[in-house]
Amino acid sequence: MEVKVEGGDEFANASYSRICQNVFREVGLHSNVDNVYLYCDPSEHVFVISVKIGRVPRPITVNDMTLRGDNRLKITDEKYAPKLLALLWDRFDDRVKQLSRLEITVDVEAKEMEELMKMVVYEPLADLNIRILDAVDRILPEGARVRYPLPSPGRVTIIASENPVSEEWKEKVEEMVTELEKGGQ
Amino acid sequence: MYKIMMFSGGVYKFNELKELTQDIGGFILQEMVMQMETMLHLAFPAEEEKVIRNKVKEIGGKLIELPLAGAEIMIVVPSLGRHHAVNPMCDVAEFLRRKGAITNMMGLSRGVGKRIAQMTVEEKRIIEECDAAVFIFGNFRECIEDKARLCEGLEIPYIIAGGPPELDIPHYVGNIGRRTERMKRKHEIESLEKMAEALRTELDVRRREIEEDPLATSPLFLKELIDMTIPPKPGEEFSTIIHLDGLRVKLEPGEEKIIRDIEIQNRKLSEICEIRKSLYEGYLLKILPEAETGSVF
Repeated sequence: MEVKVEGGDEFANASYSRICQNVFREVGLHSNVDNVYLYCDPSEHVFVISVKIGRVPRPITVNDMTLRGDNRLKITDEKYAPKLLALLWDRFDDRVKQLSRLEITVDVEAKEMEELMKMVVYEPLADLNIRILDAVDRILPEGARVRYPLPSPGRVTIIASENPVSEEWKEKVEEMVTELEKGGQ
Repeated sequence: MYKIMMFSGGVYKFNELKELTQDIGGFILQEMVMQMETMLHLAFPAEEEKVIRNKVKEIGGKLIELPLAGAEIMIVVPSLGRHHAVNPMCDVAEFLRRKGAITNMMGLSRGVGKRIAQMTVEEKRIIEECDAAVFIFGNFRECIEDKARLCEGLEIPYIIAGGPPELDIPHYVGNIGRRTERMKRKHEIESLEKMAEALRTELDVRRREIEEDPLATSPLFLKELIDMTIPPKPGEEFSTIIHLDGLRVKLEPGEEKIIRDIEIQNRKLSEICEIRKSLYEGYLLKILPEAETGSVF
């Protein structure tokens, strides 16, 4: 993930570059975002953040997070365990039994079991936007509560300020985004 | 003039140190025994430091200076959101506690932003209940310069901490701005040291003022007296907090009258102290100067 911060003084740019890197790492999006561009104008109190979405991991299936032994499943990645259990209870109801923290039995036939192994437990794309917006919210200064989103494909751009966002800024940011797209950022 | 220091060492003969401190007219402010380790905050007359040092040398242990001891300090951040907590707010508070201060943390209700940042009268009063305040603002020079106006009317010593290393505003300390990681590297600890030193300088001015116009009695003596009258509840920490010119006492309903009637020589406590309910916690006792009350002892 590349981060570019402009507009502020040397210290502010360097510190916000570090904040961007840390926040995206904290929310687990470090490898799903190609570029982050942050423009700060503290004198007018306008902040622009533009996030270019990169490669999104493929959906996690039951096969990816469990080891199968006949009708028994052993969870190998506990992070997805609540989602898996919710999914199985919803589909197979009381035929699902949790034997221990990481062991589950599903009372189904072999064919059905094979279908079960292909079921999607977690789709990273589904909550990607929410996670990006969470990261953006953590990065932008708290006082900049007036937000104006600029939609464009594969990119999240937000203008934030404590004052109403003027047309002049909207146009300026649109040009900024076009330049970023041209430059491949 | 009392000096407050921290003893850290083993349990061997540490009772003798406690007795010696009390014998020379000192006080034990805090005591913590953890299995074989002990930690004591001692207050003793400054001229008796050598006696204490000799005793500590005899029983083995360390005496550590606490430059901010005896002061309650408020750490103020624009909000209690994750932009400011836990870093750097808790880093600053922890560091000041290591220097002996009692710290409180406060997020302003409308402190965020640049133009829209404000501090209410009640918040200002709560901050002024403490001996000093540390304001932590962000990383943008323009915002810090603008927000410095919030602190201008304060009647207590204060420090403004921010990111840029140098700024032309009074009471400013740099390199402590918005961050997402803990301040644990050498240069970060040095910045915190610099802030604690700046705070000590500000507090020393206040201490000198009090020395020139001495109080009717020492807050340390008063703490001992109050703790004897209303013993701290089991498990309760810091039921009585020392200020430079008074105390903050946490009381149950109805205990205020007992405090007011405590006798010191022929005087009542209410005659030598201004007692009022704190907007934040407990009751505030502001000891009047001797010039106003006359000699107590």
